Amino acid sequence: MWKRTARGRELHFYLAGINNQNFLMRDRETGSWWQQVTGHAIAGELTGSALELMPTDELTFALWKSEAPYGLVLAPVAGREKDYDQAWEKEVAKYPAPLTFPGQGLKDREVILGVEMGGQARAFPLAKVRGQSLVEDKIGGVPVALVTGPDGESVRVFRSQWNGSDIELYRDAQSPQWRLLDSQGNTWNFAGCATSGPAAGQCLEKIKFLKDYWFDWKNYNPRTTVYSH
Amino acid sequence: MNRSENRGLWLLLGLLALFSLSLFLVPAFVIRPFQHQSAGALGLAIAVKRIAPALALAALVGVLALGARLWRSSSRGLRTGIVTALVLSAASAVMVRQNYLEWMFHPITAAGFVSASDAHLGDKEMVMAVLIGREARAYPIVQMAYHHILNDTVAEEPIVVTY
Repeated sequence: MWKRTARGRELHFYLAGINNQNFLMRDRETGSWWQQVTGHAIAGELTGSALELMPTDELTFALWKSEAPYGLVLAPVAGREKDYDQAWEKEVAKYPAPLTFPGQGLKDREVILGVEMGGQARAFPLAKVRGQSLVEDKIGGVPVALVTGPDGESVRVFRSQWNGSDIELYRDAQSPQWRLLDSQGNTWNFAGCATSGPAAGQCLEKIKFLKDYWFDWKNYNPRTTVYSH
Repeated sequence: MNRSENRGLWLLLGLLALFSLSLFLVPAFVIRPFQHQSAGALGLAIAVKRIAPALALAALVGVLALGARLWRSSSRGLRTGIVTALVLSAASAVMVRQNYLEWMFHPITAAGFVSASDAHLGDKEMVMAVLIGREARAYPIVQMAYHHILNDTVAEEPIVVTY
């Protein structure tokens, strides 16, 4: 998800092409071509411009609704309901990958969460992140925690630092309510905000990440490493 | 008109029709959905797509002019050739102006929204969520995986939702 402004101009995008299973879009204002996954203009008047990434979440509907009951949901387009294929992920999984990057232990179409910080890129296999409920790592010197939410599906990534020092987060297995604890005596909810302790009322910094297929992530982040603990 | 001059015009007519056709077919071939696109081929496809609307129209005008010139001296068989060249050039001039990807994946022209409590979504359905200021929006992934693009404005911030 991007801000649709470049060089001070508001843009309107439409679907225009495909580049290795990642789509290309054009803006109506200049006809420039943009790569969806990078937000970079690759041809036309705005070549070299980059869109600004909007921080977003991929959540289950129930979890989103519990956090934002006042929110609005995009309605299905009338007459297109039959085109919304609930099994689209399984269908896509059958297609051959247009690029192959063997040698780092991942299948081309394996779903990863890609994090890029301080010029360093790392891919976290989604299955591993969900399996462990909390994954801690350091990327470009920054401590991060990949956390699977109370629904067992939604994932968020936080900078595990508070008040200038690194904190160690862990799941509170005793509590019936989903929560994280840390080494400083705080409790944190899935929004990354402290519900009690010295940090109460404050929130951890959310880290942007991309849920992607391995081949696509590797294509745009050729020097990526893979999380393997 | 002598015969060798005629032969030159026929050659030109054929080449123009082929050229016109390639303006549509070359990018369409390169940008096939599930194939690999090399950087060079993609660059060529985009370059062709950018100039194709003007060039296909010019080629059609050329084919028309040549066809008119050659019509009277042509047998019925050759006239079929002229008509074929015209039809192909005209079809190409139309197709290079079409966004056939939007025939497959219809764009959202006027997005509608419902409140969280009115949405007919299963608890486990995944949504892309954004929070700007105090406005929260959710875009069901099953819908975005089909439409791919939505130009939206949230809390006065113009955004493009992509999936």
